[in-house]
Amino acid sequence: MTEDSTPAVSIDNITKVFPLPLRKGKGLLAVDKVSIQMTPGEIYGLIGPNGSGKSTTMKILLGLVTPTEGHSRIFGKDSRKVESKHEVGFLPENPYFYKHLTGAETLHFYGKLCGLKRKQIRERTEELLDLVELQNARDRRLGGYSKGMLQRIGLAQALIHRPKLLVLDEPTAGVDPVGSRQIRDLILRLSEKGITVFLCSHLLEQVQEICHRVGIIFRGKLVREGTLAELISVEDQTEIILRDASPELLEKIQTLVDSENTETVRVGKPRTTLERLFLDHAASDRQNKE
Amino acid sequence: MDAQTLPNNPHRKFSPGRIWALATSTLTQLVRMKVFYFLLIFIALLFVAGFLFISLSFEQELKLLKDIAFGAMSLFSIIFAIVGTAILIPRDVEDRTLYTILSKPVPRLEYLIGKLFGVLLLVAISLIAMDLIFSAILYLRQNVILTEQIALLESEGNATPENIADVTNLVNAQGVNWDLQAAVFSIFLKAAVLASFSMLLSTFATSTMFTIVVGFAIFFIGHGQSLARDYFLGGIEVEAIQKLITVTLVVLFPDLQLFNLVDGVVSGESVPVSLLLKITGIATLYLVIYNLAAYLVFSEKEL
Repeated sequence: MTEDSTPAVSIDNITKVFPLPLRKGKGLLAVDKVSIQMTPGEIYGLIGPNGSGKSTTMKILLGLVTPTEGHSRIFGKDSRKVESKHEVGFLPENPYFYKHLTGAETLHFYGKLCGLKRKQIRERTEELLDLVELQNARDRRLGGYSKGMLQRIGLAQALIHRPKLLVLDEPTAGVDPVGSRQIRDLILRLSEKGITVFLCSHLLEQVQEICHRVGIIFRGKLVREGTLAELISVEDQTEIILRDASPELLEKIQTLVDSENTETVRVGKPRTTLERLFLDHAASDRQNKE
Repeated sequence: MDAQTLPNNPHRKFSPGRIWALATSTLTQLVRMKVFYFLLIFIALLFVAGFLFISLSFEQELKLLKDIAFGAMSLFSIIFAIVGTAILIPRDVEDRTLYTILSKPVPRLEYLIGKLFGVLLLVAISLIAMDLIFSAILYLRQNVILTEQIALLESEGNATPENIADVTNLVNAQGVNWDLQAAVFSIFLKAAVLASFSMLLSTFATSTMFTIVVGFAIFFIGHGQSLARDYFLGGIEVEAIQKLITVTLVVLFPDLQLFNLVDGVVSGESVPVSLLLKITGIATLYLVIYNLAAYLVFSEKEL
């Protein structure tokens, strides 16, 4: 297999049964024959309710949990092998890094773990603090960081060694809409640069907004998978959105539609989201202050 | 470039640099918990012992000072070794920091060695600090006593060169010497064995409290086990099965009495280099056994 055709992630028929104490031979089936392939540069979203097996699937991919059956690979390398970790950066759900370290010290620590040289760590620390907009808080201990700041420094540590795959578990959990938007924009920018992103979330709107492909997992089973268009398009309906249409034009369109024996399902004004409204207000407020 | 791994950094199966990063981070974590405030208690204890019991004979006074100093050094180093180690791994699991570390190219064995090494650095730095303070106070006290004793001889008209040399030798024998440093080193070795045992416990313990309680229990058992062994197995022909029991006991419960050089040194005995080498070898063996056992448990641990 050439470098180009090697999948970024290849999860093949993975099953995980957690043994139950004092119940010999019985166990909890957390993941049931799940297979996922990701192409380089893709943003893949795995969605499902709590306890559906999302995090276990991620942990198996990261070699933190051993599968009962099946195997997983990262850019062709067995994900249980330590070498494969050079290709991957991970941000766990609600991460608490060492509170005694400052933002810059945290990145230095993870850089050392990745085997980076002192000069490389210095350069990457500056780049990443700029990227996640934490230059002002670089010398503050993480104990004093807000949740959004922790998520952003978490993202920076995940990127310290320039991984080709980024695994994010609920990256915007507990973050306010502005912080959440910053993280989403960052993910999109990283994807544009060719980084593959594997994202777990139960914030469906967010997944819908940024993911190229989505898998839906229920009780450990991958029940649906495909591109967003495949999954959420209503095939027998068509949407036309017009700006500044006059009542006369709308009446003409309606007459035409009626004459073609086609049913009008809904006519009205498209709505913005509460989140968009909030973000617009936040942006104009910032502009006014400036 | 962003989607490419940084160049010139080939994967190393074993990396002292990664271990050092983990060890120094662990040390910083413990230091920033403000543990070094204990030194104030230590100084206060030594001042009380060194300057308040001046009604005793000078031998008794210096012996008391050494007893208190070594007692405090043992206590603080053992607390740091057991508690420091017991809180580290469970906290990393609870805070999910462990996920971010093990999802980097860090083998689990290196993680364990790094954490243990960090605690041992803390114990070593604490002992060096205590040793310096203790040696300074002892030296000060030793010189004051020597001056007083010579003055006493002069006032009695007995200040002959022979008498002055005798009293100088007597006072110096109870003062600062290399055997005291050997005793401090033996305290470090004992703390290292207990820290590695606590590390093993914390890889499978369900709570920090369990590790701390069992760690201290091992400390007490470890001091009594050689006596128990002598009582149950001493004086009879040792057969294979009894040898096996003895070895199992010695591995399960480290024989901490082996590392007890303090009592002899305080009484003025000297420590041969061969004995120091022997206990260093035994401590290293315990460290290797407990670390390997910890790795076997931890490598299979589902996180």
